[in-house]
Amino acid sequence: MGVSAPLLSAAGVIAAVVAMMVDGRRAVPIAVVLLAAGLAPTAATFGGAPGAAVLGTAAIAAVVLAWGGWLGGRALPWLSGLNPTIPAFAPSDRLFGPRSARAFGAAVAIPVASWVSFNVPVGQITAVEGLLFPIAYAWTCGVIRLLVARTVEDLLVGVAMVGIATGTAWLLRSGGDSFPGAVLACAAAPTASFLAGWLHGRSSRRASPLVEAEA
Amino acid sequence: MNPAFIAAAWLALGLLASAVLRRQTARLVAIVPLAGAGLTLLTARSQAAAIPLGGLSGIAGLDRTGEGVLVAAALSLALVLLLQPSIDVSVGRTIGVVGASATIAMASSDPLLTALALTAAVATLVLRWIGQSPGRATLAAGRVAGTGTMALVAASPFLPLTGFTTGDRPIVVAALLAAGVAALLAVYPLGGWAAGIIGSLKPLDVAPWLVLLVPVVLIIAERIPGGVLGDGSPVFEHVLLVVGLGSAVWGGIWAAWGPGAMRYGRVFMADIALCIAAVEGAPVSPAMTGALIIVLTHLCVAPILLRPESAGLLWPRRVAWALLSGVPPSSTFWGRLLLLEALAAGNVGSTIAAVIAMASIFVASVMACSGRALPAPGRGWRGRLPELAAWLLLAVGIAIGLAPQSLTRFVFGV
Repeated sequence: MGVSAPLLSAAGVIAAVVAMMVDGRRAVPIAVVLLAAGLAPTAATFGGAPGAAVLGTAAIAAVVLAWGGWLGGRALPWLSGLNPTIPAFAPSDRLFGPRSARAFGAAVAIPVASWVSFNVPVGQITAVEGLLFPIAYAWTCGVIRLLVARTVEDLLVGVAMVGIATGTAWLLRSGGDSFPGAVLACAAAPTASFLAGWLHGRSSRRASPLVEAEA
Repeated sequence: MNPAFIAAAWLALGLLASAVLRRQTARLVAIVPLAGAGLTLLTARSQAAAIPLGGLSGIAGLDRTGEGVLVAAALSLALVLLLQPSIDVSVGRTIGVVGASATIAMASSDPLLTALALTAAVATLVLRWIGQSPGRATLAAGRVAGTGTMALVAASPFLPLTGFTTGDRPIVVAALLAAGVAALLAVYPLGGWAAGIIGSLKPLDVAPWLVLLVPVVLIIAERIPGGVLGDGSPVFEHVLLVVGLGSAVWGGIWAAWGPGAMRYGRVFMADIALCIAAVEGAPVSPAMTGALIIVLTHLCVAPILLRPESAGLLWPRRVAWALLSGVPPSSTFWGRLLLLEALAAGNVGSTIAAVIAMASIFVASVMACSGRALPAPGRGWRGRLPELAAWLLLAVGIAIGLAPQSLTRFVFGV
């Protein structure tokens, strides 16, 4: 049965756009879950069930590690906190706020990803061309999110997006090392999720008056 | 000894040092890089240099140059720590992660593993920098250096390029690799973040990037065109030649005219930009030897010049600046001469740009030498120890100037 490339692309693009816009304390695990879900059809097409399982495991690990990191950050007593959601600079009430910049970036990413998809073959044994669009789009969105980041959380979402997109690209290239490569690249996403949870745990611990009194 | 074990030792010691040590014993953090250097000396040496352009593979091993860079950088970082007037023990964590990542990156011929190791190093540094001084400069480090490592990660699925040496694929890969290298080495237009962190953070916080990560990335970047890049080779080399020379001129001018507190950082960045321009612009040439001489000189003087000016060492600082000035027989004279020779073989424009950068660095060094910091003499033999260590380092620096190629061969094997 043939693969509907537009359908694969649509799923990946929608997931990348939502991941690009998501904000808040759980932004990293949400972005990872959405992106993994959006790119899973592409991964399944080229990597079969193991390919989809890599992304699924990355998504589950991101959620679990974010929670574990949050618990760990709250529990360990010898650390001070850095809130990853507080902007390091720039006012939040500007006309063109962070989401406007990201929406603009998401629009700019379309022609970039389109060019990459049709001009850059991926693959070690047989070159795959024309199906890289959702991956290239998610990667470009991740990089744009990194470049316009105002908070540590933004940086971590960007890293997670690039990790998932690169992992899926490894599945597309086929060959003996595609599966371990995908696992290694996707590992960036749960790690970023853990770090975000850890930082939230530390900062929430610092804000707690009970813990302050104990200290 | 396997490089993976050395990296694990860096990581374990770094985490242990930051957890166990207290203010009174903070100086013992220097054990982390010292142990790293010692273990690296015991590594099972690889005959071939690891070029991170292959497929997914294990850690290839450290060659002689890689081993030399890691040992020299680790010793220099230990001396940076020992010469600081005060140390925050939490820096041990950062040093451990960066040391482990640098070892893996240098020993790996797998582009994904190298990129992820560099990502771990940059992420650790950025989290520390933002934690120490939240603001535009430190966040920019995360944005730009983070994007650089992500560009390296993104290049990995397209490698190796065997069978795909023509067309758009090698060019896209080369552009991604060049962007990654330029961002990590803080070469303009991707270098503003480094100037920002040098201005806003304590030298000790900048040291792991400056002393440990930059030399490793420089060596990796020098090796990349030696792999299979096909049509991408000229793109990679020319991009880094042009941005490197531009960055060297810009950095040199700012070193001369900018604030004194940032002078050493600017000179370092200008020198590294000159090195990357020369080794990429003229790969088969004396450029690599020149770059190694300059790196070695900076590893010698960094512990002195990264110590705050107010903490004394007036005369050692002046001699260190004299070593950086490029006046013969200082080691940087020979290093820059070799770089100039390599660039002159290319075209006259490169030569003119390099001469302007070197002249600016000379002016900056002279201005730094003429600075009048208040000397803070130490009391007793313990107070004199930093001065003694500084003079010993300078003796090594002078020796490099007297026998540059012999000492470079001794340290790096080339």
